[in-house]
Amino acid sequence: MDKDLARNQLQAASAAHGESTEFTARRLAAFDSFAVAKMPRMQKFNFSTWPLFDRQPELNWVETATPDLEPVADDQIRFVQFGQTTIETHLPQALVDQGVILMDLFEAMKKDPKLVEANLMQPIVKPEENKLTAYHLAYLNAGVFLYVPKGVKITAPVEINLIQDSTQANQPLNSHLLIIADDNSEVSVLQHTTTRGEEANPASLMVEIDARQGSHVSFSSLDELGERTVTYFKRRANIGRDAKVEWAVGLMNGGNTVGDMDSELIGVGGEGDSKLIAVTTGDQHVGINNRVTHHGEHTTGNINQRGVLLGKSHLVFNGIGEIIHGAHDANAEQQNRVLMMSPECRGDANPILLIDENDVIAGHAASVGPVNPVQMNYLMSRGIPKPQAAHLVIRGFLSSVISVIPEKEVREKLIEILERKLTDGQL
Amino acid sequence: MATLEIKDLHVAVTDEETKQQKEILTGVNLKMQTGEIHAIMGPNGTGKSTLSQTIMGQAGYEVTQGDILLDGESILNMPVDERARRGLFLAMQYPAEIQGVTNAEFLRAAINARRPKDDQISVMDFIKKLDKNLELLDMSESMTERYLNEGFSGGEKKRNEILQLLMIEPTFAILDEIDSGLDIDALKVVAKGVNSMRGQGFGSLIITHYQRLLNYIVPDTVHVMMGGRIVKTGGPDLALKLEKEGYAGLRDELGLDIKLVDDKD
Repeated sequence: MDKDLARNQLQAASAAHGESTEFTARRLAAFDSFAVAKMPRMQKFNFSTWPLFDRQPELNWVETATPDLEPVADDQIRFVQFGQTTIETHLPQALVDQGVILMDLFEAMKKDPKLVEANLMQPIVKPEENKLTAYHLAYLNAGVFLYVPKGVKITAPVEINLIQDSTQANQPLNSHLLIIADDNSEVSVLQHTTTRGEEANPASLMVEIDARQGSHVSFSSLDELGERTVTYFKRRANIGRDAKVEWAVGLMNGGNTVGDMDSELIGVGGEGDSKLIAVTTGDQHVGINNRVTHHGEHTTGNINQRGVLLGKSHLVFNGIGEIIHGAHDANAEQQNRVLMMSPECRGDANPILLIDENDVIAGHAASVGPVNPVQMNYLMSRGIPKPQAAHLVIRGFLSSVISVIPEKEVREKLIEILERKLTDGQL
Repeated sequence: MATLEIKDLHVAVTDEETKQQKEILTGVNLKMQTGEIHAIMGPNGTGKSTLSQTIMGQAGYEVTQGDILLDGESILNMPVDERARRGLFLAMQYPAEIQGVTNAEFLRAAINARRPKDDQISVMDFIKKLDKNLELLDMSESMTERYLNEGFSGGEKKRNEILQLLMIEPTFAILDEIDSGLDIDALKVVAKGVNSMRGQGFGSLIITHYQRLLNYIVPDTVHVMMGGRIVKTGGPDLALKLEKEGYAGLRDELGLDIKLVDDKD
């Protein structure tokens, strides 16, 4: 397929999907960027040859069968998407009445194009940032939209389950979660990403959070995509005046993954707390850039990344704390630590501080090494066999992230996934 | 009845800086049975802790001669976890802190490690046993949901070691300076815990500098270690005598040519 054909295919598929001419035009602009933009780069991590997109991508709309779901409780807030198909949206009426929106992204775009289109990949992530962001918008084929109006505090967590459909080949997933937390609102989002099926497919998963003035967003994600899924994820929050965003990511994907976590501290007094844990096994390669950028004065940023490597896996954590000129009294802290559980694995923890202001506080800690022998020995001296002792020490090592996940069930789920991954990784 | 026997044990450690091997234990002989409590006393730097660490199988202690037998079987080639499952327990001077693992979870894992897979302790039985022992040691229930030793005071850590002893119920417990850093009330609680274990199925080897602990846990046998071996064995009165006369007095009485660490040149 030559370039014109591909462009025509995209345009036709967008129109067939009933998208606005404005949005189709944005897809086409992104398509043009995709052709010329450069791949993103990551220090000490090369993923340029990964099959993150098809050589000749197409935009296709595929309906998928509805999988069985656990019954939803009345007061539960739950959204489930399988492949490109939204199969459940459960939002209690009281929240609907308060103006909360939780729906399929494309449906939301039709209902409220002004709100959605003005915020989707415009003020937060720009499609032309790199080849993969451009590809994401051009071929966007699934998504969720969450809007929390001014002053609304949602007490129950918003559960978002995204199930990649790899029951068929040639099913790339370009999934987008857009969250707008309006002034002084509060919301806690629990995302769970999984894969069904054994086919090899790429996934491009993006989360954009607009945390407006005084809002508080906590975003937890359990990432459990399949072994044959090659993943690019980008999660970015714009954090407004006195707003706070807390990320807690449990990265347990089975396949190669490259990801960007970005907290943009734009308003005065904003706070970003970015926690991520990862376990890598087998031949897996995982690279993470976790960045907090201080634009505003009196902003606080914290990065805490912990990784455990098994087998021949390769894991790179880059922690990037950037203080822009003018961000007086900013506080940027970070730690990046990896535990190497096998002699053949390769781990890197790179703290990067980019500071262009004087009256600021910045600190970093990094460690790369084997499991703590004192702790191992203590557990073993009580009769606990070595593999089980290692599991316990690893859980302890990762607990700083596990313990901040708001829901007990999710914490337990994460521990269960972790245990399974450690066992599968032959520890 | 179980026996723990130490035969002509020589142990060397390697100095990390100079890479020189240094012999610490120079031929220790000791035999104990369940139902007995033995105390080992001795001046600083005489190898008491080396003995306890070597029995437990901690890294860094090389047995150059002799043997350690549990019920007649050598345990020298067993890793530390296997020794523990065979019934040995060492109360640590400096227990490790492990964030993210609760005390209760750890205790259950330790108990279950000694039981067959199809006979793990039930939650009810575990809680009953835990409550009973917490009460005995005057420990708050909240201690069990805290992370293992994390942020525990020195006294809390020692109590927690004794709690583990009571929960795991080993055959032989080695208590290495369990009294150091304890106030008198905590010392009494620790002694109460150990005494509650006394019986035909339990033996203990108590290592201490001071006689004071032995007022509360009265031993059947007292050994004195100097220069890397046991130089005298007697009853509880030996401890009292030492308290009065000091180690130097005993050394001179025995006519030993051993330099004590705290001797003036």
